[in-house]
Amino acid sequence: MNRTGWFFILAMLAPMAFAAPDPTHLIQAAFDNWRGKSSYTEVTMTVHRPAWERQLSMQSWTRGNEDALVRFVKPAKDAGNATLKVGGDMWIFNPRLNQVLKLPASMMAQSWMGSDFSYNDLAKANDVLTEYTHKLLGSEEQDGHTVYTVEALPKPDAATVWGKQVLTIRDDGVLIGEDYFDQDMKLVKSMRTTKVGPLGGRQYPVSMTMKKVDTEDAWTRISFEQGRFDIDMPDALFTRANLRNPRDFGLGRQ
Amino acid sequence: MLAGLAWRNLWRQPRRTLLSLASIAFAALVMVFLMSFQLGVYATMKENVLRIVDGFAQVQPAGYRENPSLRKTIDAPGPIIARLRTVPGVGAVAPRTMGFAIVSSGDKSFGTAVFGVDPAMEPRVSRLNHTIVNGRYLKAGDENAVVIGKRLARNLDVKAGDTISVLGEALDGSIAADVLTVVGIFDTGTREIDRQLAEMPLARFQATFAMNDKVNTLAISGNTLADVDSALGAIRRSIANENLKVQNWQALEPGLDGAISLDFNTSMLWYTSLVVIVVFIILNTLLMSVLERTREFGVLLSVGMRPAQVGIMVWLELTFLALVGLAVGIAIGDAVTLVVAHYGLELPGTDAIFSRWGLPGRLFPRLSLVSMLSAPVIMGLSIVVAGIFPYRHVDQLEPISAMRESL
Repeated sequence: MNRTGWFFILAMLAPMAFAAPDPTHLIQAAFDNWRGKSSYTEVTMTVHRPAWERQLSMQSWTRGNEDALVRFVKPAKDAGNATLKVGGDMWIFNPRLNQVLKLPASMMAQSWMGSDFSYNDLAKANDVLTEYTHKLLGSEEQDGHTVYTVEALPKPDAATVWGKQVLTIRDDGVLIGEDYFDQDMKLVKSMRTTKVGPLGGRQYPVSMTMKKVDTEDAWTRISFEQGRFDIDMPDALFTRANLRNPRDFGLGRQ
Repeated sequence: MLAGLAWRNLWRQPRRTLLSLASIAFAALVMVFLMSFQLGVYATMKENVLRIVDGFAQVQPAGYRENPSLRKTIDAPGPIIARLRTVPGVGAVAPRTMGFAIVSSGDKSFGTAVFGVDPAMEPRVSRLNHTIVNGRYLKAGDENAVVIGKRLARNLDVKAGDTISVLGEALDGSIAADVLTVVGIFDTGTREIDRQLAEMPLARFQATFAMNDKVNTLAISGNTLADVDSALGAIRRSIANENLKVQNWQALEPGLDGAISLDFNTSMLWYTSLVVIVVFIILNTLLMSVLERTREFGVLLSVGMRPAQVGIMVWLELTFLALVGLAVGIAIGDAVTLVVAHYGLELPGTDAIFSRWGLPGRLFPRLSLVSMLSAPVIMGLSIVVAGIFPYRHVDQLEPISAMRESL
């Protein structure tokens, strides 16, 4: 092949080899990995405080971007408490009150179940994909994977919780970390993946720790023990009736 | 001798002296009354706003004011409360807990600050019990009772006798849930309080939110805000060993503090103008009288008085004038202020503005050392300093030319 021909082929290949991935696709990939079209997971949440530490076990169902149900099974004191998210609305069921409460907007920033996650973290997790613009900041090699850093800034006019988010995402879609900044661009809290392992037939961030910047010796860790993805879920699962009176849909232990 | 001479000189021209005295006295009177009135209104404003819920001061865990949280607690409040009660100026100490919770009725729910209060102590710090419009306030022995604001009651669509659910986070991280009976609904007129506040008995709150004996804040009151303000140092000393902070009223109501400062600074401009004008009028009168008396000064100099002595004599005349005028002004000003303080002053058509700051329809001036003396002292000092000008004029006189001058 003559020189012109080699040059032609190289010119064709170059963009494929060196092209930076689209940052929005990276975040989408992280979400797809995180919960698929639908997901069932069993999770242990450890809330650590200077004075005490407690562990809660929960079951969680998600479908698409909008629907989620979390039900606590342990310890006995908290068992039966459940949180339902449908679209932008959240409801809480408390067995002692035997009542379903709609979460008022003013409470969205409050802690969820005493953890370092807020209701907003659950209700508006999807916002980073839809309400922010994305920019690739850089990449680095880590354990044979390329890890990309993506900056997400609120779209103009978007009413967002955060002033900025920075996500680190592995090339296979595993979320490695997420940093949350307030409107003054000050770091408020960070989530870090502490262990990547197989879950439901995929590589998954099976252990993650959320920590607020201004607190010492206080953090929340979520560990995924079981997971199934892309299973059919009935509409009745994500309803207030099911929140109050759980039915067995054969999707995990109810 | 110079003083005697100066005093007699004043009364050689009784009409002019009386006129000067009257203008000084009137200016002092007006300033004493206006300042007493203004400071009185501020004090009423502060006390009324602070008496709704805050108290005149609070003892809080360090960092609580910046970021209130159920987790920032006073762990053994008993001995601290006992110590605080012995501080002179402290009238009552009320322990409180506070958490943010979801309050709901039927399918309506709202985020609310829920206070745990001691039904016996709380009315000595807060006047919330006087603002009940439906039902009653909490009383000792109440268990699953709660009082809520009028707007919250309307939003939840409940009245006294109905039940509401409270769902929040307990101190140990578990879920705090309780069903309470609304025993009363309060209407303070302050929108935020009426919309976002619920009070339940302290013991029940501590049980529901897993707090044992811990509390979040201690609200302090006294006879007047000034009493508690001057006790702040002693309060601070009595809690010195704990990781606690004393918050004064400015820290509790920074918005009110800002509004008052702004208003006071504006009126300082008026007070200053008034002082300047009065001082110039007095000075003018005096300079005129000094010029008129050039011949007289010439005679005094020629019989052997030194120019400086004549100057001091003139300056003493001015000082006497100021002292007498101000004394009369303060006396009449005090009398007027005390009379108005007794009967109050009604300003029709201002209810709407006043209720925003917790003010009653009738306003009362308050006589204090500050309101009584600050303006007269400044006026007196200005006049005494301004007396330099006539003094220098006299000091430069020559006996012969002075006697020949004028006339």
